Amino acid sequence: MNSPANSPSGEAKPAALITAENVDKHFGSFHVIKNVSTTFYQGEVTVIIGASGSGKSTFLRMLNRLETHDAGRIVIDGIELNSDMKHIDAVRREVGMVFQSFNLFPHLTVLDNVSLAPRRVRKTPKIEAEAAARALLAKVGLSDHVNKYPHQISGGQQQRVAIARALAMQPKVMLFDEPTSALDPEMIKEVLDVMKDLARSGMTMIVVTHEMGFARDVADRVIFFEHGQILAEAPPEEFFGNTKNERIRAFLGQIAN
Amino acid sequence: MKSALSLLPRSWSREKRSAVAIAIAVAGMLLFLWLCAIPLSWMPEPIGSAAELFARGARLTVELTVVSGLIGILIGFLMALAKLSRIWPLRWFAQFYIWVLRGTPLIVQLYFVCFALPDIIPLQLSDFNSAILALALNVGAYNAEAIRAGILAVHKGQTEAARSLGLSPFQTFAAVIFPQSFRVALPALVNNFVSLLKDSSLASVIGVVELMTIGSRLRAETYEPVPVLTTAAILYLALTTIMTQVSNAIERQLDVQNHQ
Repeated sequence: MNSPANSPSGEAKPAALITAENVDKHFGSFHVIKNVSTTFYQGEVTVIIGASGSGKSTFLRMLNRLETHDAGRIVIDGIELNSDMKHIDAVRREVGMVFQSFNLFPHLTVLDNVSLAPRRVRKTPKIEAEAAARALLAKVGLSDHVNKYPHQISGGQQQRVAIARALAMQPKVMLFDEPTSALDPEMIKEVLDVMKDLARSGMTMIVVTHEMGFARDVADRVIFFEHGQILAEAPPEEFFGNTKNERIRAFLGQIAN
Repeated sequence: MKSALSLLPRSWSREKRSAVAIAIAVAGMLLFLWLCAIPLSWMPEPIGSAAELFARGARLTVELTVVSGLIGILIGFLMALAKLSRIWPLRWFAQFYIWVLRGTPLIVQLYFVCFALPDIIPLQLSDFNSAILALALNVGAYNAEAIRAGILAVHKGQTEAARSLGLSPFQTFAAVIFPQSFRVALPALVNNFVSLLKDSSLASVIGVVELMTIGSRLRAETYEPVPVLTTAAILYLALTTIMTQVSNAIERQLDVQNHQ
């Protein structure tokens, strides 16, 4: 455990996509992230778990600079994240983000939600962007809803649109910030299924979640956050197997109940 | 007053119903301005013979309102952005502007633009243009607060989502924040617009021959305040009613979330 340089499985070591070195952050007097270092590899699915307030979401949001870091280095696909706006914009084009509260654009149709960024940022022609958006929406099972507005579809469908919207920019890595936490139980599966398909397609994913089943089935690596630190990281078999760590066992026990 | 929308077939889509309602209300406004002299001319004296004057006054009132109202929305938009700006001189200027324009009577502002401004800057505006300028500056201050509130009402997650998709700050504002904030601000903007129509009557004090000027001149000439002022009031009421219908329909058109 606690050996971030190790590749998730015994295969040939894939390329590092994101490196975080000694990342530190305070919210006022609250030390939310304490000297965190880890590496995320191409094609790897990482699940980050931990209690609320442990800093896991803050850490995830740092990876596309929705939160700034006070100290340390974050390098994404060779670009260092700092206050340079050009770097931030370059990184954000490569990093897709899915939020707990979906954050779909309520004044735009599902199709426009998905095709907006390619059209504005990549300057893709409208017809092309919409064709690509339709294909993505078909992939997440929403072909029948392209012309609806977000409020006309269910939460699970909205989150699938949000995933398609992020994928439309053809990101190299997808970040998920508790993607199923705002959903009714019967809708969680449809979102997790889409995420599983995505993982199988080879997408690099970093997922903050409380869905232990997803972590067990799909993750290459599980990171356990506590008090702003990475307490443990391991492949899921090892993590959910006979961990000797008391805190992890306590946490998993609470989740199970 | 019920919305004319409720009279349209339920089976039509929201967009179709509101588009038709906008068209009907705008056509109604034009028709009213064009034809209101005819029923007025059937009225007993002193109204009947002054029908054409009243109609001309009503047209000028609408002209004043629409022109200064549109400029006022532009001013309000710029002032709202200035007040939310990170650049402190802009913020300070907008704050000062809103403070002065909302804290002084419109009649003082009208007199100031008409009589004091030419002494300060070498620019001689016509009475009509002075009225336009004063009304636009005044309603602009109120619009600024409405638009600013609309921008602040858009959830932070919208900016985060747009920025994380790689949209620039400007693209985020233009494509995501502004369209949503405009819908939030619209009821207040409409309210300001209707108030402006009534406030435009103050332009009579600087000699613009709009509806109120006609009314007060006729009252002085005929010594018959009751029919003359009643006619003026009814015409104002008709204009504000039609204008409210237009704005209800526009609101409905933009209301994709079916709040109503």
